Amino acid sequence: MESSAYITLKDVVFSRSGRRIFDGVSLTIPKGRITAIMGPSGTGKTTLLRLIGGQLKPDSGQVNVAGHEVPRLKRKALYTLREKMGMLFQSGALFTDLSVYENVAFPLRVHTRLPEDMIRDIVLMKLEAVGLRGARGLMPAELSGGMTRRVALARSIALDPELVMYDEPFTGQDPIAMGVLVKLIRDLNSSMGLTSVMVSHDVKESLSICHYACIIADGKVIGEGTPEQLRAHPSERVQQFLNGEPDGPVPFHYPASSAASDFGVTGGRA
Amino acid sequence: MTDRIAALGRRGLDIIASLGRSGRFLAGVLAGIPRPVSGFPLLVQQLYSVGVLSLPIVLVSGLFIGMVLALQGYTILSDFGSEAAIGQMIALTLVRELGPVVTALLFAGRAGSALTAEIGLMKATEQLSSMEMMGVDPLRRVIAPRLWAGFIAMPVLAVIFTVVGIWGGMLVGVEWLGVFDGAYWGNMQSAVNFVDDVLNGVIKSVVFGFVCAWIAVYQGYDCVPTSAGISSATTKTVVYSSLAVLGLDFALTAVMFGDF
Repeated sequence: MESSAYITLKDVVFSRSGRRIFDGVSLTIPKGRITAIMGPSGTGKTTLLRLIGGQLKPDSGQVNVAGHEVPRLKRKALYTLREKMGMLFQSGALFTDLSVYENVAFPLRVHTRLPEDMIRDIVLMKLEAVGLRGARGLMPAELSGGMTRRVALARSIALDPELVMYDEPFTGQDPIAMGVLVKLIRDLNSSMGLTSVMVSHDVKESLSICHYACIIADGKVIGEGTPEQLRAHPSERVQQFLNGEPDGPVPFHYPASSAASDFGVTGGRA
Repeated sequence: MTDRIAALGRRGLDIIASLGRSGRFLAGVLAGIPRPVSGFPLLVQQLYSVGVLSLPIVLVSGLFIGMVLALQGYTILSDFGSEAAIGQMIALTLVRELGPVVTALLFAGRAGSALTAEIGLMKATEQLSSMEMMGVDPLRRVIAPRLWAGFIAMPVLAVIFTVVGIWGGMLVGVEWLGVFDGAYWGNMQSAVNFVDDVLNGVIKSVVFGFVCAWIAVYQGYDCVPTSAGISSATTKTVVYSSLAVLGLDFALTAVMFGDF
């Protein structure tokens, strides 16, 4: 990776409700590239995005975004930094009382003093980029899941951010919607010079578009590198995750007492 | 036994922690004074949904309560031949007590529960989170206009309730039961004092409005973002608001009218 780091996490430790979610995670996310963060459900991938966005603070360790130490930022500086970030939430998180057009216009209206006709042009350009210029009059309730995410994507790039974070962008999408999202993430990254961070457990799609990937499990980074490096990774856990094998280092069975004692067949009959 | 004591202590700590959170939350909301230009349209929109949309229930309840007061008052007062005092009885009851209290209870049920559910659902669907990530503080953008709207709407609704109640009392007392209308209005005019009765009633409704709106927005903001969490938060809003209103009403009445 010759490009410089945009986000650096160093020895991040984070616990919630007594459970340790990250136990010394260190990670570098290069500028202008697509980085995929993968891992089984419940490993805190979304939490990682929230740490980067400053919605959560680590117990210890450093989270550095674009030269700013996020956990130490004052409220105002943090909100200013967030104007350079876009985030695509898993549910889309569109404002249900606003139309598609108003949803995309929202960040522009709040953060800029642009005249209405310029806001209109920008909104239509962003909607055009995601292929939904014709849907501007619809309400969020009238959109399909894939369209919701595309509108949310248009909204997250409305202010031309430097960084876009995608939280499980492919989950629950039909093959066509998934293909559209893959293409959008790739195209937006190259055309806008974005730094993209994508959290996902869809291995195939993620590895097809990312430049760099890392796998998190049990609070640690268990493997990282380019997609090719990961596919050839020696770790059994990485291979189990990438190939979706039902049994392996992550056991099929949830830890339990012995089956024999549960079924009441201790000893005796063979 | 020790487990029970520990559980009791934990519950106590939870309650205190929740009170602390709600206090910090309120400070956070009030610290961000809404910007006049961008905040005003949001406030107007909330005044409409919190205030104007509560009008039907407030008008109908006010009318019926006034009418019932007239019926009950007439039955009792006519035993003593003093049914002419019905006007002052209805007016004092409504202005001092029933206007602010019943409006606050209706307000908690209609507007408070709606506020909690709306904010809770915004939280569950990550709308509040996405606002934060866009660099917009949801406390200022979402919570503050709703809190202020409740605070402003409640006294106005209470005054409307009282006026309609007095008018309903007149319908039954004067038009139906035949009390002389000069006595109805005249006794009312001489008995009701602007500062002692009307102003104190308005102060009560201001306090109730503030408490109800605070409980409603806090419960929504603090809820567990699941369907069960939102339903429990909505219930809590109505229960806590009602209890707070009735308790505060006693305290305020003791301070305002307890000078024997």
